[in-house]
Amino acid sequence: MKHHSLGEFEELVLLSVAALHDEAYGVSIQDSLVQKLSKNINISAVHVALKRLEDKGFVKSRFGGITEDRGGRRKKYYVITAIGKQVLDSQYELRTSLYNMIPKIQFGQ
Amino acid sequence: MIVKPPKWPLLFLRWYCREDYLEEIEGNLTELFYRQQNMPSKARALFLYNVLKHFRPAFIKSVNIKSPYNYKAMLRNYFKTSFRNLVRNKSYAFINIAGLATGIAVCMMIFIIIQFQTSYDTFHTNKARTYRVLTQYHHTDAATTTYAQTVPYAMPVALKTSFPQVEDVTPVYASHNDELLVPGDDGTIVKQFKEARGLFYTTPSFFNIFSYPLLAGSYAALKEPNTVLLTKETAEKYFGNWQYAMGKTLKLQSGGFMFDHSTDVLKVSGILAAIPANTDFQMKLVVSINTSYIGYMMANNASWDETTPDFGCYLMLPQNTNEAGINQQLSAFAKKVQSPTNKDSYIIQPLADVHYDTETGNYSNKAISHQLLNVLWLIAAFILAIACVNFVNLSTAQAVNRSKEVGVRKVLGSNKFQLQLQFIVETFLIVTIAVILAAGITILALPYINQLLELSISFSILSSPAIIVFLFAVTGAVTVLAGFYPSIVLSRFSPITALKGKLAAGTVKGISLRRGLVVFQFIIAQALIIGTLVIVKQMDYFINQPLGFDKNAVVNVPFRIDSVRLSKMEYIKQQLLLMNGVQAVSFNSNTPVEDANDMWSTFKYNHATKEEDFKAITKFADNEYVPAYKLALVAGRNLKPSKMTKEFLINESLMKGLGITNPNEILNKQISIWSDNIKCPVVGVLKDFNDRSLRNKPAPLLITTNNTMYNQATIKLGTTNIAATMQSIKTLWEQTFPDFVYEYRFLDDKIDSFYKQENQLAQLYKIFAGIAIFLSCLGLYGLASFMAVQRVKEVGIRKVLGATTTNIVYLFTREFILLITIAFIIAAPIAWYYMHQWLQYYVYRINIGWWVFAAGGLAAIVIALATISYQAIKAARANPVKSLRSE
Repeated sequence: MKHHSLGEFEELVLLSVAALHDEAYGVSIQDSLVQKLSKNINISAVHVALKRLEDKGFVKSRFGGITEDRGGRRKKYYVITAIGKQVLDSQYELRTSLYNMIPKIQFGQ
Repeated sequence: MIVKPPKWPLLFLRWYCREDYLEEIEGNLTELFYRQQNMPSKARALFLYNVLKHFRPAFIKSVNIKSPYNYKAMLRNYFKTSFRNLVRNKSYAFINIAGLATGIAVCMMIFIIIQFQTSYDTFHTNKARTYRVLTQYHHTDAATTTYAQTVPYAMPVALKTSFPQVEDVTPVYASHNDELLVPGDDGTIVKQFKEARGLFYTTPSFFNIFSYPLLAGSYAALKEPNTVLLTKETAEKYFGNWQYAMGKTLKLQSGGFMFDHSTDVLKVSGILAAIPANTDFQMKLVVSINTSYIGYMMANNASWDETTPDFGCYLMLPQNTNEAGINQQLSAFAKKVQSPTNKDSYIIQPLADVHYDTETGNYSNKAISHQLLNVLWLIAAFILAIACVNFVNLSTAQAVNRSKEVGVRKVLGSNKFQLQLQFIVETFLIVTIAVILAAGITILALPYINQLLELSISFSILSSPAIIVFLFAVTGAVTVLAGFYPSIVLSRFSPITALKGKLAAGTVKGISLRRGLVVFQFIIAQALIIGTLVIVKQMDYFINQPLGFDKNAVVNVPFRIDSVRLSKMEYIKQQLLLMNGVQAVSFNSNTPVEDANDMWSTFKYNHATKEEDFKAITKFADNEYVPAYKLALVAGRNLKPSKMTKEFLINESLMKGLGITNPNEILNKQISIWSDNIKCPVVGVLKDFNDRSLRNKPAPLLITTNNTMYNQATIKLGTTNIAATMQSIKTLWEQTFPDFVYEYRFLDDKIDSFYKQENQLAQLYKIFAGIAIFLSCLGLYGLASFMAVQRVKEVGIRKVLGATTTNIVYLFTREFILLITIAFIIAAPIAWYYMHQWLQYYVYRINIGWWVFAAGGLAAIVIALATISYQAIKAARANPVKSLRSE
């Protein structure tokens, strides 16, 4: 992948995939995001983000077994790839370093 | 599980979603659905919402279907096989291409004509807000109102002063038969030109309203009297070089209704760029309206009750002005200024309608009705349809020969769609060749069309974008129209039957369709034949109908009356009468019948204080007029010789208009015209003759003497040696009036020219009917020849079993005769209805007799039989041994 760019929502989804390790698929990712962000997120947004992450090579997928409550369709599980992890790490580092540059400002009461 | 995800959203999702994502998306959506199955309606709504939210490019299937076939190579193969097929079946290819090319060429020519006609006067910048003023005549019989482009002299000034909302106004006077004398450097006249048309008198405002660019000089120069703008062509014709013409002078001896016969000296004050062909103002010279007699009339004639032929008025309104408002004001204004008995009114007509107003006409005499344009469209469509029908007929008939090819292709894996594509490609190839041929035919035919319809379409129109688009559209449309059905028929064959060779002509479906198409072709062809016969018959009637006066061997020689020529009139007459072939000579202003050149006057009868509410044609003629034209008197006597105006002859129509039935009653009663300037007694009543074209009834008529009003000599010739007599007349004229261009016109030619439009229509119909029948027969020939080949074994067996040649020919022709008869039964009433409608336009018209239909139907059958019989006889005379020998 040429660009290792990562949108805000994509980053959240990627973090969720990493956090849910081996149990990450569309609905579970949506659930975890809804829970953490306390706002409604449409499943289509999650699918689009996952597609983009996969296209960029940040995640890879495999199909799980058939479960009954999915109308005979298999789950598609996502796991983070090494590059994905690198991107997350560098993002984290970037933010931390920027955060550390903030002088100690006292906000008035 | 009782509740299931909604069916339609799920199907929709499966329809649009990419295969590689469907598993995941459908699974997740279903899972989310079941989570909420306690609230089924909410769950369903959410499911639908989610399906719709996924309808985005990321998940939609790619549109270009990746096909396992190599389309490019196959297309090349289709072209190759199509071409080979054409070369192999040369006669079939010829019939198809010739038919289509003829049809498309006709279509293209009609398209070009319509393009040209609808482009008239569309190049003016202010065209949308330019209007023509029309006089609305209310006649005695009250039922009819007619319109004319002539207006009183006072109209332009009144519009300018009394109608503040009018932005600009211009008077236009179109003169006729003007003579221009071009002096050389030493001042003597070196060149003489006669301009039948094209000399316009107007003001600089004309060029403010209309867009005719100027090469040199200024429009404003026209404010001054005796100034002239020449077009580039005219300047080059007169002076050799337009730059040289600027500032030069030329002399004008005006023709037409100029009663003051002076010679005016005009100064060339500007050069106009070439006048486009598509304008109704075909100007050659533009003279200041303040010049000469017309200038005097503009300045002094304030009458609202008379108009002069060809004096009209155009105006320009500001954007978005209400036309109806202006018309109301004009009507109110007319009531105020006109004399109380004059019921005429005025309206304005948008410039965009002028070219299509055949009733009123215009300065170019080239008006064409929307109706005629629509008829042309219709004919173009019909002819193209006939050509397409030929193609469909021949292709489906030929299908049997292609069955093996179709079978092999199917066995090797072609699907229906590919086979259809193959035949569409084949059609496309044929149509493309036909279109190229058609363009060639059109280029060759264009000069003839221009000549026939008196148009001036240049070849440059062929490269206009509209024509290019048209050609592509026609190629596309004909390919689809002609290729679609055969391609379906051909691709439908079952490969097994096709390869076994079991398909025979009879088993190919579409026989009844082919019959239907043949009937359709012959309906059009026969309707056109019948229509043509009616038009031609009506034309004959126009030309040969007795008009109530003698029009044979009568020649008119125009001349201008000025003091010099006035003195030579008697001399000319004596000299003419001395000639061997001359029977009578009369000087007059008009021939007995005129199309538009008559003067109309209001008049008072028998000392009445008010004018009568109808107008009469006023002609000036000497006492020889009645005998020369053999006009019949019902009461009284002919005019006595006189140079002044002393007596009136009237016709029966005028008498009846006054409500008088006994002609003797009106004799010696006084009639006064021209605001009581002329008051004379009636001395004779003429039997009604056709003093207008046969489109109209005879109009009320006054004839009187006055030798300053004569502008032509009428010479009645004997029946022999006409050429020699004409030569002596010419010599006499040139000797007597050396500074005058000699011209003459036979009266019957002039009368024929009244029906120019009908004549052109008749010519067009002849061509169209000819092409329609030609195309239909081309198709018929193709079908017959094909049938002859297909039924060769049948014919052989029949002959062996004892059938005669006649039997076989009958076998072949029976069906076609039946089809043509059916077509005739449908075509006859349609043709009758439309031609009956057309004839209603004429007061004098023929009855459509049964023989027209008999002739039309019989002609179609005879032509069709002649077409088929060659093939039928050839098939019938073939030796049965040859056809039966091999199986």
